[in-house]
Amino acid sequence: MAVEPADVLIIGAGASGAVVAKRLSEANFKVVCLEQGDWLNKDDYPGTRTDWELRARKEWATSPNVRGLPADYPVDDSDSPVAPLMYNAVGGSTIIFAGAWPRALPSDFRVRSLDGIADDWPISYFDLLPYFYKTDIDFGVSALPGNPGYPPDTQDAPMPPLPIGAAGLKVARAHARLGWHWWPEMNSINSTPYDGRRPCVQRSTCQSGCNEGAKASTDATHWPKAIAMGAQLTTGARVSRIETNDRGLATGVTWIDRDGHEHFQPAKVVVVAANAIGTPRLLLLSDSARFPDGLANSSGLVGKRLMMHPFANVAGLFDEPLMSWQGQFGDLIESLEFYETDEKRGFVRGARWGMAPTGGPINAALPSRAGEQSWGPDHHVHFKTHFGHGANWGLFGEDLPTESNTVVLSKNLTDSSGIAAPEIHYHMSDNTRRMLDFHIERAKESLIEAGAFKIEVDRLMRYSGWHLLGTARMGDDPATSVVDKWNRSHDVPNLYVVDGSVFVTSSGVNPTSTIVAIALRAAEHMVETRFEQAVPA
Amino acid sequence: MSALDPIARATLAAIADHLIPAAHGMPSAADVLTDDRVGFVLAARPDLAEPLKVALRPGLGADVAQRLATLGQDEPGNLAALQLVIVGGYYTDKRVRELIGYNGQEAIEVKSWLMPPYLEEGLIDKVLARGPVWRDPATGQRAIVADAPRTYAERFAAATPDKE
Repeated sequence: MAVEPADVLIIGAGASGAVVAKRLSEANFKVVCLEQGDWLNKDDYPGTRTDWELRARKEWATSPNVRGLPADYPVDDSDSPVAPLMYNAVGGSTIIFAGAWPRALPSDFRVRSLDGIADDWPISYFDLLPYFYKTDIDFGVSALPGNPGYPPDTQDAPMPPLPIGAAGLKVARAHARLGWHWWPEMNSINSTPYDGRRPCVQRSTCQSGCNEGAKASTDATHWPKAIAMGAQLTTGARVSRIETNDRGLATGVTWIDRDGHEHFQPAKVVVVAANAIGTPRLLLLSDSARFPDGLANSSGLVGKRLMMHPFANVAGLFDEPLMSWQGQFGDLIESLEFYETDEKRGFVRGARWGMAPTGGPINAALPSRAGEQSWGPDHHVHFKTHFGHGANWGLFGEDLPTESNTVVLSKNLTDSSGIAAPEIHYHMSDNTRRMLDFHIERAKESLIEAGAFKIEVDRLMRYSGWHLLGTARMGDDPATSVVDKWNRSHDVPNLYVVDGSVFVTSSGVNPTSTIVAIALRAAEHMVETRFEQAVPA
Repeated sequence: MSALDPIARATLAAIADHLIPAAHGMPSAADVLTDDRVGFVLAARPDLAEPLKVALRPGLGADVAQRLATLGQDEPGNLAALQLVIVGGYYTDKRVRELIGYNGQEAIEVKSWLMPPYLEEGLIDKVLARGPVWRDPATGQRAIVADAPRTYAERFAAATPDKE
């Protein structure tokens, strides 16, 4: 029996795919989504179990290479100091993301104009603002309004802020003395009952799934609503290529089920939402006689300009107990004090600081992020010094786009379906290294002012590639960009990319809030232009 | 738990006692790591069974410090697995958890209706008093917002009418 074509076929059921699916379903589009992972049950998440920390290091690891689950595909990251992190399931990486929800800042969209490097975006912070407000409501955001790190808002977050914990309060007091910015973090985690979901209970296991359903993951926040409005979501469906016709339009996708059987799903419009590694991988896999270098790649930029936010961790140890194994992992507080460019520092752009809990006893007992370890009789002193006595600043440095940082198809590695795996080539720039070094020193000052008796530094954390960005950039010029300002491919007019691939520059903040605002903006435009959309016959 | 033969079991106990001996009021990991505890770890992490077995092989000799040094030099993955089995078994033990004052990751109610201490202490007012810290792309300079609230009370009062 012939398969009915979808009005819109979405590849990937994560953050951006879910946003587009929900909005288009509201507008009565026939939406089909193919997701290679499965539905998960929050009762199966390990956070309430005694063995949580053991499972979090394997089956709930954030690296697909460490997990190696059937739904995962391997990533050859041997030529990168930073390992990319993701999750493949309904909800995508929102299942395991921390939930921090800062927006990119106004200057992030004007890097070329302001700092003379990289590129400007074809859209601005203020273009996105209405979509930030809508996605804040859809995901459920808890925040203290009025953060002077951002332009004034005309709409407050739907929930009050989450607690900042003893560590956050100690550092906030220090920043008051230093005259430095800090603010309670905006998190997409419920501080009150909201939208049928329970509030956060501060368990701090956000990165292995939220047992309460308090953290926004799109399996809970978006997919049930989209499906109720008619969206069709097929799991265990691994897309192997996007097909095109002789007019250069996408006609649908070929996908492989769990048993290895191949299928074709026709579609009038194809939306790729597979993250900035999965998306270029799929576009490169979809080469043809008409598109010999991969689909949507006349610019040659598909898979180039990979950005991952190099991450440094600065930990302060305090005499007094801070119970810092508890609290939302999203973030307790943030600082944007040194976010904006000051060229006297010897680099351009900056970094956001986020303070998160410090983990459970196994984390405290094993060698630390900074490589500190102690065995023998002193182990117990080391443990008691570290466990529950820490405050960690996580420093996200803005990663400037470089065409030599790439995602390509591996010639040696495949996934379990036999499809070429992605291979990344990534190196941190000198600008970013100088930036992180500067921020590490300032973060030390912050923690020392707060009373830390010891500081431990991880100058570049390997398993920190949470933020996958830039490999199908947005722009007005088809020669220098992959998609236009509405996320539509310059080359294939019924093909859209809506994930973090479209980022022109990376900003220096956790990107999910900005990714989903851009995705919603793209979906709104698809609705508004539905009768002008080119589709295959 | 019979995952380990008697020789491997004795080797594990010697290493556990070397890494986490009885001291400072805490028990030795050798005393805590019963077969049940090792079984608990391996049930959660069956992938550790093979590297653990390799790390405990007799061929590495009877000197614990030398064994650990060799593993660290030549087989860091096996050493990491060995450490994780010992640490994982130790710190998931009920008695050890009581001694370190840890009840697991607890569910703690968020009392969002209470005034946060940072507001009571005026810490937010100090941040607001400094004014905006974002860079205005129109000027390239730190933004100037003419009517920016200077205290949280001002911000709250300004926001309240919109909520009604």
